[in-house]
Amino acid sequence: MTLEQLLAETQPALLQIKQQDLADITAAKDWQSKYRVLMQLGKKLPPVPEKMKQPHLLVKGCESRAWLMHYHDKAQDKHFFVLDSEARIVKGLMAIMLCLVNGMTSAELAKFDLCHKFDQLNLKPYLSQSRGNGLTAMAERIKACCPAK
Amino acid sequence: MPGFDVQQFRQQFAFFQQQPNWVYLDNAATMHKPHAVLDAVTAFYQQHNSNVHRGAHQLSQQATVLFEQARSNIAGYLNAAHPHEVIFTSGATAALNQIAFGLMHTLLKPGDRILLTQLEHHANIVPWQLHCQRFGVIIDVVPLTADHGIDLVAYKKLLALGPKAVSFSHISNVLGHIQPVAQMVALAKAAGAVTVIDGAQGIVYQQPDMQQLDCDFYVFSGHKLYGPTGIGVLYGKTLWLDRLTPIFAGGEMIDTVSFVNTTFNKLPFRLEAGTPNIAGAIGLSAAISWLQKYNTNQVQQHKSLLLKEFYNGLAAIKAIDILSMPVHNAGIVALNVRGEHPSDVAELLNQQQVAVRSGQHCAMPLFSYLAQQGAVRCSFAAYNTLDDVNRCLLALEQAVEILTA
Repeated sequence: MTLEQLLAETQPALLQIKQQDLADITAAKDWQSKYRVLMQLGKKLPPVPEKMKQPHLLVKGCESRAWLMHYHDKAQDKHFFVLDSEARIVKGLMAIMLCLVNGMTSAELAKFDLCHKFDQLNLKPYLSQSRGNGLTAMAERIKACCPAK
Repeated sequence: MPGFDVQQFRQQFAFFQQQPNWVYLDNAATMHKPHAVLDAVTAFYQQHNSNVHRGAHQLSQQATVLFEQARSNIAGYLNAAHPHEVIFTSGATAALNQIAFGLMHTLLKPGDRILLTQLEHHANIVPWQLHCQRFGVIIDVVPLTADHGIDLVAYKKLLALGPKAVSFSHISNVLGHIQPVAQMVALAKAAGAVTVIDGAQGIVYQQPDMQQLDCDFYVFSGHKLYGPTGIGVLYGKTLWLDRLTPIFAGGEMIDTVSFVNTTFNKLPFRLEAGTPNIAGAIGLSAAISWLQKYNTNQVQQHKSLLLKEFYNGLAAIKAIDILSMPVHNAGIVALNVRGEHPSDVAELLNQQQVAVRSGQHCAMPLFSYLAQQGAVRCSFAAYNTLDDVNRCLLALEQAVEILTA
């Protein structure tokens, strides 16, 4: 499995999440339904093979372990990411994060305000939680992939 | 004697009136504070606030009296031989750092050995590691038995290697298991080792008698014993406190200073650099006085009942793996939902307002030994009720249902 293959499998899943699941989450009538959808999201992303989970890809600051891989299409200046997490709820939330940022240009990524976006989706409480879930660390790591001007 | 009235006990905690919907089972992380403690801290700041030991005025003298009374009260509770055997620190971690640093060079020389156990909290591993590496001291580790207790046979064998110091926890912060500390201290002393006990969880379980237990050091944090955060106790026998090199310097701990040499003040001051946490010490002392109004055995019986009910309820929920043994357990249950990450379980409990902790609980070596990625930890205190137990069980059932759907 290569990063390109993983990306090819990730992209359609992210598209589906963006077009369909996000609406389901905002429309969820109770927390149970919301969490059921969230956990399904994580499952939609292809798992990163164990061999590819190299220590330098580990995102520190998570109670559960999470890995992030980055691909920069320099010709079109587009950033793509693949990630995995041991924890299903966190992986679901990270999948949402990915569906928002994948394919962004450097300028778009630099401007991207995850906090604001999560607020719009009624997901902000998950960002403000303690170091536990590592979403903030993941967002920072994604942003750090943006080449410095 | 009337039995333990949990409602009467619980009513003394403002927190539960403010947060009536929460089931708080994160007591091994920190406990709530009764009015007696909050009032003592407020009263100090409102009526007596002054710095201790060095003021030229009566207010300072009054604050000093209160501060030293707190020390004496705590020393009495521990049955220490002398009040100066109680050193105030910011907590158990600071106390363990002081001991590990302080014994290097004075007791521990290059090539010497010390002995720890597999289930220690990082605070009882890393300070030793840090200083042992610099001083060339070797660390040996006591393994666990199949039921996750300390392997006493292996302990005796490792003691035969002649460690100069042995440091272990009274109660495992992950599993809740009560270690045979009296036996372990006696064995270590017979082998000629200095004994250090991490009592961070143990202090809640029972009133330890220092002269009977005969350990050289015993440390704990105030906030795990109904007291304020930022205050802790380093108990040590005078002989051994005198041999500790101070980790912090400055202020009251100094006798004379020149740029050639400094001489230190006597105990307890030589180990309490800077302005101490005066209000914290007074608050911790108040917690101990308040706690002594209750019968320890009755409190333990109540906690045992909660634990029994919890274990019974867990048996009825499918796919739960329990890491803690129900016997010799001080009130902590580490568990996992089979095949699920503990942080998912904890988050689903959080959604149901059940507060637990998940992860490796600052005991990574224990989890690598158990071959587990972590655990959900439910820790009970005397103010928890059977209703709390049932609500946690229901929340766990709901979590399992969502996770396995």
